[in-house]
Amino acid sequence: MKERAQRLDEEYAAALRDHLAGEGEASLQQAYELGRRAIASGLGLVDMAALHYQAVLSLLPPSPGPGEYARAIEAAGAFLAEGLGPFEMAYRGFREASDVLRRLNETLEEEAKRIAHALHDDAGQILVSAHLALESLAADMPAARDQLQEARGLLDQVEEQIRGLSHELRPTILDDLGLVPALEFLAKGMAKRAGIAITVEGPRDRRLPPPVETALYRIVKEGLANVSRHARATRARVRVEHEGRLARCAVKDDGKGFDVSEVMARKGERGLGLGGMRQRLGALGGTLEIVSSPGRGTELQITIPVEG
Amino acid sequence: MDKGRVGDETRVPIGSDVDILTARQRGRALASELGFPNSSLVLIATAISELARNIVLYAKRGEIVLGRIERDGHQGIQVTARDEGPGIPDVGLAMQSGYSTSGSLGLGLPGVRRLMDEFEIVSGAGKGTTVMAKKWKR
Repeated sequence: MKERAQRLDEEYAAALRDHLAGEGEASLQQAYELGRRAIASGLGLVDMAALHYQAVLSLLPPSPGPGEYARAIEAAGAFLAEGLGPFEMAYRGFREASDVLRRLNETLEEEAKRIAHALHDDAGQILVSAHLALESLAADMPAARDQLQEARGLLDQVEEQIRGLSHELRPTILDDLGLVPALEFLAKGMAKRAGIAITVEGPRDRRLPPPVETALYRIVKEGLANVSRHARATRARVRVEHEGRLARCAVKDDGKGFDVSEVMARKGERGLGLGGMRQRLGALGGTLEIVSSPGRGTELQITIPVEG
Repeated sequence: MDKGRVGDETRVPIGSDVDILTARQRGRALASELGFPNSSLVLIATAISELARNIVLYAKRGEIVLGRIERDGHQGIQVTARDEGPGIPDVGLAMQSGYSTSGSLGLGLPGVRRLMDEFEIVSGAGKGTTVMAKKWKR
């Protein structure tokens, strides 16, 4: 890779020299080819800028004559632009993919909302009717009373499960009351199940745009699940802040921590995973920082820009 | 095949890397004549390169046809890449970003689509490939 980059350096400088000597389209084509190869070998835009700068430095005459300097700078600029053409393609591809991902997330979230409400409302209605039917049956058939009671017990279990699933899919509290109350509710349940003290802080009276609230909710949920699964923590703290055009959220625990780069490289995790969280945030223009090291707890720092 | 302009079109036969150069040159000249800004000239030259490159790579030979177009008082450039090579069995798949190595980097045909304003492709196994891409002057 290093050798490859070195060869690219030399070829870039040679092609730029040709271009400054007036080679025209042929050297521009070379710039394009070099840009393409730079992408394929994993070089980034900043690498290209550095490579260009070095090439320009090595080629500029020590004491350029009047006009010569300006011409060289202009030609070098055109050469660089040509070399960045392939990067523009790649960048547009990234933006498009990011857009598609954001829309996909929204569609999935809408779908989850629809199913959650249908489960909650429609299935709930049917269960109520079933209860009523069993009740009147019990009045007519005293002999079957115990069995009917058993059946009603089973129906109660179904109801409980449906409520759980519906909440899992899309907590109605998130739509109705907003992010902080939904996180408080989530934290309460998780604290009970995992035996961890979890506090939630944040403004209860300000709503964020629905996609932002949803993303933060899902990521905090994943974060807290990680805390209960891996961290061996005794306490965790969730903090939501909304300042100016930024929404910030942090999830901090006092658990055993981990080596961030090692875990980020891992694939095939359950749930969203840290990479999945990043992608989800990336689609909204947000970022995720993970501050952790073995023995020192973990903090997830999430930032999302908010319009208006 | 005729080199140079036929009516309002410029045909460039493509069979090797040198022809890619010619296609870029003609495309840039036409776009410049039409008054496209420098940044667009780069994008158009890049798109032409990708299309011509595909011809050399997959079909060995074909042509790039460059023409000026007009619609509702707007001017633009049309780049058509045509070959009688093996063709693409599944165009939809080929336009997906993960289909080929270059595609997964955002280059290739999906990249061309993103650089230009309009993009159309007709292809099929054994039928060759025709790509029509347009860019309008703003």
